Amino acid sequence: MEKRNELEEIMFPSDGSGVKPYEWMIQPTRQREWIDDKGIFLWLAFFFSEIGAGLYFVSLFYEYKAGLILGWLVTLILGGVIHVLYLGMPLRAWRMLMKPNTSELSRGIWIIGVFAALGFLQIVTAGSFNIVFNCIMGILCLLIISHGFATMNVIRALPAWSSTMVLPLSVISGVWIGHQILQFMFAVSGSAALASGMEVWAEVFFFVYFLCILLYVWGTWHSNEIGKESIKSLITGEYSKISLIGVLGLGIVLPLILTLIMWGGNTNGFLIFLRLASVIAGDLAMRYVIMKSAVYTPLI
Amino acid sequence: MPRWGMVIDVKRCIACWGCTIACKEEHFLPPGVFFNRVLIGETGKFPTSSKLIYPVLCNHCTDAACVEACPTGATYIREDGIVVVDDDKCVGCRACLVSCPYQQRTYYDQKVKDREYFPGQGKTEMELLGEKLYPLKVGTVIKCNFCSERVDEGLRKGLTPGQDEEATPACVNACPVGARVFGDLNDPDSEISRLIMEKKGKQLRKEFGTEPAVYYID
Amino acid sequence: MTYKTDEIWEDKWVNTTCGVCYCGCACRVRVVNGVPVKVEGIEESTMGGTRGGLCGKGIAGLMYYHDPNRIKKPLRRTNPEKGFGVDPKWKEIEWDEALEEIATRMKKIMEDNPNKILFTNQTMRASDGPHNHLYFYAKAFGIPNNGNFIIGGGSLHCGNAAHMLGGLIHGAWSIAPDWRYTKYVLKWGSSKGTGSGHSAMINARLRADGVRRGLKEIVFDPMGNFAGGKATQWVPLLPGTDTAVGLAIANYILNTRGEIDELYLRAKTNFVYLIREDGTFVRDKETDKPFVFDEKAKKIKLFDDESIAFEDFALEGDFEHNGEKCRPCFMALKEHLKQFTPEWASNISTVPVATILEVAKGWVDNAQIGSTITIEGQTFPFRPVSSVTFRGAQGHSNGIHQVASIDLISQLVGAEDVPGGTMGWPSIRRRYPGGQYERMPKVGKDGVIVPSVFYSHDPWPVHPPSYPCTNSGCVEFWSHSTLSHIPYVKEKNYIQEKFGVEKVQPEMIFGIAVNFLISQSDWDVALDNFKDCFVVLSDIWVNETDQAIGDIILPDTSYLEKDTWSSEIDSFFFNGSPSYEDWYVHLQKPVAKPVGESRDFMNVYLDVANRVGVLDKYHELLNDYYSITDEKLQLKSGEVLTWKEIGERILTWVYGDDKEKIQEQGFATWHKPIEDVYWRWNMKTRCPVYMEFLIHDRRAAEKIMKDTGFEIEMDMDQYGPLANWFWPTSHKELDDEYDLLAFSYRDILHTNNSTFQNPLIDEVSQMSPYTFTITLNKGLADEKGFKDGDIIWMENKYGTKENGIVKTMEAQHPKVLGVCGQGGLWADKRPIAKGKGSNFCKLLPSYLRHYDPITGNIETSVAVKIYKG
Repeated sequence: MEKRNELEEIMFPSDGSGVKPYEWMIQPTRQREWIDDKGIFLWLAFFFSEIGAGLYFVSLFYEYKAGLILGWLVTLILGGVIHVLYLGMPLRAWRMLMKPNTSELSRGIWIIGVFAALGFLQIVTAGSFNIVFNCIMGILCLLIISHGFATMNVIRALPAWSSTMVLPLSVISGVWIGHQILQFMFAVSGSAALASGMEVWAEVFFFVYFLCILLYVWGTWHSNEIGKESIKSLITGEYSKISLIGVLGLGIVLPLILTLIMWGGNTNGFLIFLRLASVIAGDLAMRYVIMKSAVYTPLI
Repeated sequence: MPRWGMVIDVKRCIACWGCTIACKEEHFLPPGVFFNRVLIGETGKFPTSSKLIYPVLCNHCTDAACVEACPTGATYIREDGIVVVDDDKCVGCRACLVSCPYQQRTYYDQKVKDREYFPGQGKTEMELLGEKLYPLKVGTVIKCNFCSERVDEGLRKGLTPGQDEEATPACVNACPVGARVFGDLNDPDSEISRLIMEKKGKQLRKEFGTEPAVYYID
Repeated sequence: MTYKTDEIWEDKWVNTTCGVCYCGCACRVRVVNGVPVKVEGIEESTMGGTRGGLCGKGIAGLMYYHDPNRIKKPLRRTNPEKGFGVDPKWKEIEWDEALEEIATRMKKIMEDNPNKILFTNQTMRASDGPHNHLYFYAKAFGIPNNGNFIIGGGSLHCGNAAHMLGGLIHGAWSIAPDWRYTKYVLKWGSSKGTGSGHSAMINARLRADGVRRGLKEIVFDPMGNFAGGKATQWVPLLPGTDTAVGLAIANYILNTRGEIDELYLRAKTNFVYLIREDGTFVRDKETDKPFVFDEKAKKIKLFDDESIAFEDFALEGDFEHNGEKCRPCFMALKEHLKQFTPEWASNISTVPVATILEVAKGWVDNAQIGSTITIEGQTFPFRPVSSVTFRGAQGHSNGIHQVASIDLISQLVGAEDVPGGTMGWPSIRRRYPGGQYERMPKVGKDGVIVPSVFYSHDPWPVHPPSYPCTNSGCVEFWSHSTLSHIPYVKEKNYIQEKFGVEKVQPEMIFGIAVNFLISQSDWDVALDNFKDCFVVLSDIWVNETDQAIGDIILPDTSYLEKDTWSSEIDSFFFNGSPSYEDWYVHLQKPVAKPVGESRDFMNVYLDVANRVGVLDKYHELLNDYYSITDEKLQLKSGEVLTWKEIGERILTWVYGDDKEKIQEQGFATWHKPIEDVYWRWNMKTRCPVYMEFLIHDRRAAEKIMKDTGFEIEMDMDQYGPLANWFWPTSHKELDDEYDLLAFSYRDILHTNNSTFQNPLIDEVSQMSPYTFTITLNKGLADEKGFKDGDIIWMENKYGTKENGIVKTMEAQHPKVLGVCGQGGLWADKRPIAKGKGSNFCKLLPSYLRHYDPITGNIETSVAVKIYKG
């Protein structure tokens, strides 16, 4: 944030929107409700439910129950609880199930509900890794992974969110980080071979993730003038530091270096941990700047 | 069934902010909360530039993005077209608020409720009374309701919204230059329908595709 | 309408009068459990906006009642040191103690000379109340001519030149277009119909209907904001150069097109009066009346000779009277105007030649000279063109010539007080049916109208400058100043010494809700000039002036707690509708109980008058003012009444049997005859467009200056009979370093600085791009390297500076910078206002050369340099 002069602070007290009161909806005006103040909960909630579901999803392929349990818990406890805390009326959260026909948010809550029930069933039932169950759970996981960004994606008022690459980016980010957590779990639980075997997928997921970010930036830039404003604030504006250090540095460059070091399955626990920490930070930064930089089209 | 709408004559408007302030008094809104605003901008280059003045409020859209986004059904369109929030159903998820391309909604939380018009000097009698007369629910989203209380009460008394002051939204009554006309869009003979026809009324940012019920003429 | 709860024991509406600005629109207030909670207009009244509409600041007026910073008890300064940034160390005292001290001091001063007491009044204040009573209240103390009045905000709000010519031409305080019928309006530095000025919302309503009907509005203004932003065409020009464009248009009308309303000029102006070589009228020795030439009788006659038909008054020709050559002064005008070519005007004003010609052509084409219109069965000349101005254009050191040239355009086509033309505010007040109070203008010397009411110094008959002056305003010398500027002038002591006023140096100031220290001009000069006085002010807050120099501050009630029965009875010529619509008079009724121990200043004034021993005199003045002849109703000597009790009597006098009814509903309405609206051709008056009196005034003034050895230079050439071009002082001070002209304008949200303390207005002011900022043309800002949000300093040649936040805009002349009104406030007890906006007034230098030498109008633009802060 720019340092504000005292005079400016008296006349136009800063409300965190980055525009002066007389520029509201006359200049591109930033979305704040879903990121500023208590809105930060939503950022965390989306992140946790998605990486939880990502972990669950990847664990299905390895029929790894510990992964399922952790994924299930992260999605529901961290993702769900934080989400409910964000609400103005948490005790009425059940009401969000009322409009699945029109509301993406409502549909998401249903999916989480079904995921919670079926996931619990899969975890407690022996021999539940059958193809049908896996398929259903896999689809549910993908839906949950994309839930947060899908909720944002339907908001036509914010071109940066309704950009076409938002959904693919969110799916790959959930899968990629879920994969990283699982790889780390294997590495620390003595299954180094498995961890090493996963590296080939890490390479694929990482590059797809990288590609999706590039495509998001490119696509949103070219979507329209307002989308361009959002990307500008990502690259050169207020959030450029977070974009550079977080998204580019921790989300892409450092994982790339680590991936190159471990190329061909040459993994070790420490490096996997380092890459996991790095991509989590990078992904959080990526979600943060996307949520923070979305602007509305001026009305006049 | 009527479809309530509004025409704002930007040629008449002189940006006095009467609508904005009258609305605040009508609904006892705390500092920083507005159901009505005036957007002031410019277009063109010196010396032929011109000033733009657009009073804005909830557009009570037919294809309202907020209604679509609401997961609980708290936000809905009444039969007469007024978009309202049922604060008994609202969970405060703010999906509606984020979805509204016109940004006409406000999340009312404790922080907003605690604001004072004279900061640090306590609430005035008016603010305290307002909390009783027009209670807003903390943790819900609030917005312009086309003064539906006035409209409903007026109709009950046999009055005509848009003509009788008592049955007409406060911002319309307040306007000193008659820039606001409220009435039934479904009635082709109403003043509002006539104005939209004759003066080629335009919706603000029609391209958002939400079909606003507020039209502008100039 | 809101949800009801069981705890509500009262929910009512009270009709009253808005007090947020001097317009006094009709308003009603919703009171719940004794608490005012909402303000609206009154639908049944035309005193205000459309269908009971009211402007934003009027609606926000509620906060004047609710402000916790209101003064609850009288305050006494305990720190003898005065000045900016000095803590007055207030002590709360009892009313009786305060009033006794005031009365004792006054009595002592009056034993010596009552002219040592300065009275103040300001028409734009949160406490509001009667606007005019203080002028004759001062008379009760033995102070004539209002020469001891200091007006707050004069620089930004009062219009000495506009009022002077409003009075001389229309018998009115100010002018407005006849919105109902006009087709083509020229607005010069005024926002009539788009926000401010007298009857602001009445004008706004009428204008809105007019533009919907298709009238064209051409606005000459350095800024395309309130007026220019709404205009059909905004014409940017440099501040103070309106005269040049006006004269070029007049030249076009008269000499290029030659299309003038000859009949009007012959019948309704003094252009037919015969002048000698030196420009003075040829007068009859016996009656002192000017002569005219009867073309039919081929004879020189007295101007008011009933035997001359209107069309026979000669406008041109060379005649001889008693062996002396003479000619109608119209010929002097005709020759005089020839020098003012569009090219010349363009060089001065920066308005392109083509634009000047286009506007001039539009003016003549729309004037429909010769056409008539029949309204209500009466036929009037129809001239649907109007040229109006107010504070902006007239607020210059060449103010009188600005206003005169703007008026000249209307004169030439006969568009004065006829349908479609330029209207004065009502100069007539008809009695209410069954009531008694009526005011009619008279025809005075030389056929010039004498207004029926005029606040302060009467415009006609004029008296030439004389000396010694008897009061600190030196109004004997500055005989055309509506309110004197001298108390604010840097060389005040020198002037007063030269003109013999040194013996009446002011010792006390007694006034209401004025913030004159910071709202006129150079703060330091004002502080210097007033700090040695014992200052007693009534207000609802402690403002900047109170904090810096106030000795006793008396808590006033806000307009919401006042019973001002007199508001519009007195000020019909000030805020009645200038258009053809019924008379409306509103009372100001209390809607809530006074806050704390606050008292209506009128009651305090009555109390003080009683203690000082001038109450009986004041009663006499009141009886006289309202012409009360009914003994039962007259205020008698020895009576001690409250303002409300006085109102009971006067309202009975004014409204007769309907008094109770009117008090109950809060307003009265009755028919305004159409001939009272378009009175020009029904009244035997002539506009003194040829200001011959200024020739005599110049001689008298120059003699006094010579006799007294007065050495301060004044632009004496301005004392000429015809509108002429003079460079405003601000332009003379421009150079390579101080290269911009700063000017100020009124924002629709603000009246002086009282509105800055209103939180409802404050928050929308923040949403209004130009209200709290300094505006710069975008191109200029780019060139100078400034951008939106930069903090800059504006500094004048005398080292005074003020900072603020830049807002660039396209619609601004690239040689100017605009500041709205009177921000930059710092009073500790007005926390909402504190620090908001920038103060423009302090930048105005206050040397005598910065004032219009004739009217005392201050130069309201100033040469500045700007730099980043």
